[in-house]
Amino acid sequence: MGGMSATAIQLSVRNVSKSFHGKAGEVRVLDDLSFDIHQRDFVSIIGPSGCGKTTIFNIIAGLIEADAGTMQHHGEPIGSLRGRVGYMMQKDLLFPWRTVLGNVLLGLETRGIGRDAAEAKARQYLKSFGLTGFENVYPKTLSGGMRQRVALIRTLIMDPDILLLDEPFSALDYQTRLYLEGVLKEAVETYHKTVILVTHDIDEAVALSKRVVVLSGRPARVKVVHDIDIAAHSPIAARADHRFSGYFHQLCAELDIQTEKTT
Amino acid sequence: MTLTLPSASSAVKSRARARRRASFDTALGRAFLQALAVIAFFFVWEVGVRLGVVSAFLVGSPLGIFQNAFRMFFSGELISDTWTTLFEALLGFVIGTIIGSLLGLALWYSVFVARLVEPFIVAINSVPKIALAPIVVLWFGTGLVSKVALSVSLTAIVALIAAYQAAKDADPDLQSLLISMGADKHQVFFKAVVPSTLPAIIATFRINIGFGLVGAVVGEFISSQRGLGHLIYTASSLYDLNTVWVGLFTLMIVGFLLYYVIDLIERTSLPWKQASTTQQVQV
Repeated sequence: MGGMSATAIQLSVRNVSKSFHGKAGEVRVLDDLSFDIHQRDFVSIIGPSGCGKTTIFNIIAGLIEADAGTMQHHGEPIGSLRGRVGYMMQKDLLFPWRTVLGNVLLGLETRGIGRDAAEAKARQYLKSFGLTGFENVYPKTLSGGMRQRVALIRTLIMDPDILLLDEPFSALDYQTRLYLEGVLKEAVETYHKTVILVTHDIDEAVALSKRVVVLSGRPARVKVVHDIDIAAHSPIAARADHRFSGYFHQLCAELDIQTEKTT
Repeated sequence: MTLTLPSASSAVKSRARARRRASFDTALGRAFLQALAVIAFFFVWEVGVRLGVVSAFLVGSPLGIFQNAFRMFFSGELISDTWTTLFEALLGFVIGTIIGSLLGLALWYSVFVARLVEPFIVAINSVPKIALAPIVVLWFGTGLVSKVALSVSLTAIVALIAAYQAAKDADPDLQSLLISMGADKHQVFFKAVVPSTLPAIIATFRINIGFGLVGAVVGEFISSQRGLGHLIYTASSLYDLNTVWVGLFTLMIVGFLLYYVIDLIERTSLPWKQASTTQQVQV
């Protein structure tokens, strides 16, 4: 669509396939899957549950290897983006034995960045996310929303090429989720990040994304890609946009058609 | 009012009961009740001996025990024996725990090696280590080393199994997160695996401090010149039951104190575990 033609492609996934060997034999999770992620894109991937969305992330992050297919990052062939992605999951995955500050420092430590520089950066991030005063607190004492905010800071501070968000807010209550969607959207714009968001929540996908990729059921294939043309400054404002419900119903219809076909 | 709701009256009753319990349910109140139980136990024992219900020859008598305890304490004999056993037990505990934990953690590095040695670990664990005591004395002599070696053989295997199991159980998602950040295997080991095994390793301290004492005392039974095990063994072969009890009660006190030292270590070494207090549900 119109405005998208000028955007450069950052990550290109081509013909990726992946099967797992389970008790019931071979399960094809991804079959010849291809899609592009633009620079500073915000792409949501929606699809029926168990269609292999997390597998895509694990392949991009280099946690598992694809059986076939290639990936290119800024035109260069890559095996994976291990060490260059920011991975966030539904579980906040904060290390319970590390304080908030220690958790934020985790990625910088693995990169071998000097303690003083890393700590100064971490404190600055914590400050801009309103977590000053919580540096020396253990995650156990924080609320779910705060924990996920710390996880987001831990992800952003590494300055990753792409953020992989795997249903990061789905365990939170609706108000906290709305709030964190706003925090995420603002952070992504401030730090000029590219985001791939896996979600079950069509509402969330429309409110946050520039594009929504609809996957078909297992094995996953790209069914359709929708451009979301809402220029709202926040996810809450996006929900008030007059085009919002149109996109919402269109995506619902897409998913419904598929479930009818696959079941 | 003749008719009261049964639920209301039982609630009042249980509240009254709770209040009565609460008056003793303080640290001081509990200590008082506990001391009372101990005194009552010795009193009944002593009266039983005086009345001839129980034989002083076979079970000893509390007064005789206290007399012996005082005499042995002030002669320095008891302190020297206690120190000997405590030193052996602590040395065995520390060495065994360190060796066992390190080996158990090291097995995380290679699934192949771990699977290879697993049946051997199970086999070694199923041998009652006490049965080794005679050959341990044969190999390491009748001094300190044989007791420490016996303690190590008891404690190391417990620490090894606990550390290995905890390393295997370390949250795979935390490890995946580190790998996605670009961490190598050593970083995953030191940042995710080792910290997550610490609670399990520290939990073995409680068991192993007891095993440390068992190793020291059994080693002393087999062959020794001093220590509480030596004291108990020689006194019982002379049918000096009061002295046997002095040794046993001293061992109990030593074990008791060590337990609280371990408890303190456990509570202070893992501050992140203490962030929320675990409160038992009141029924």
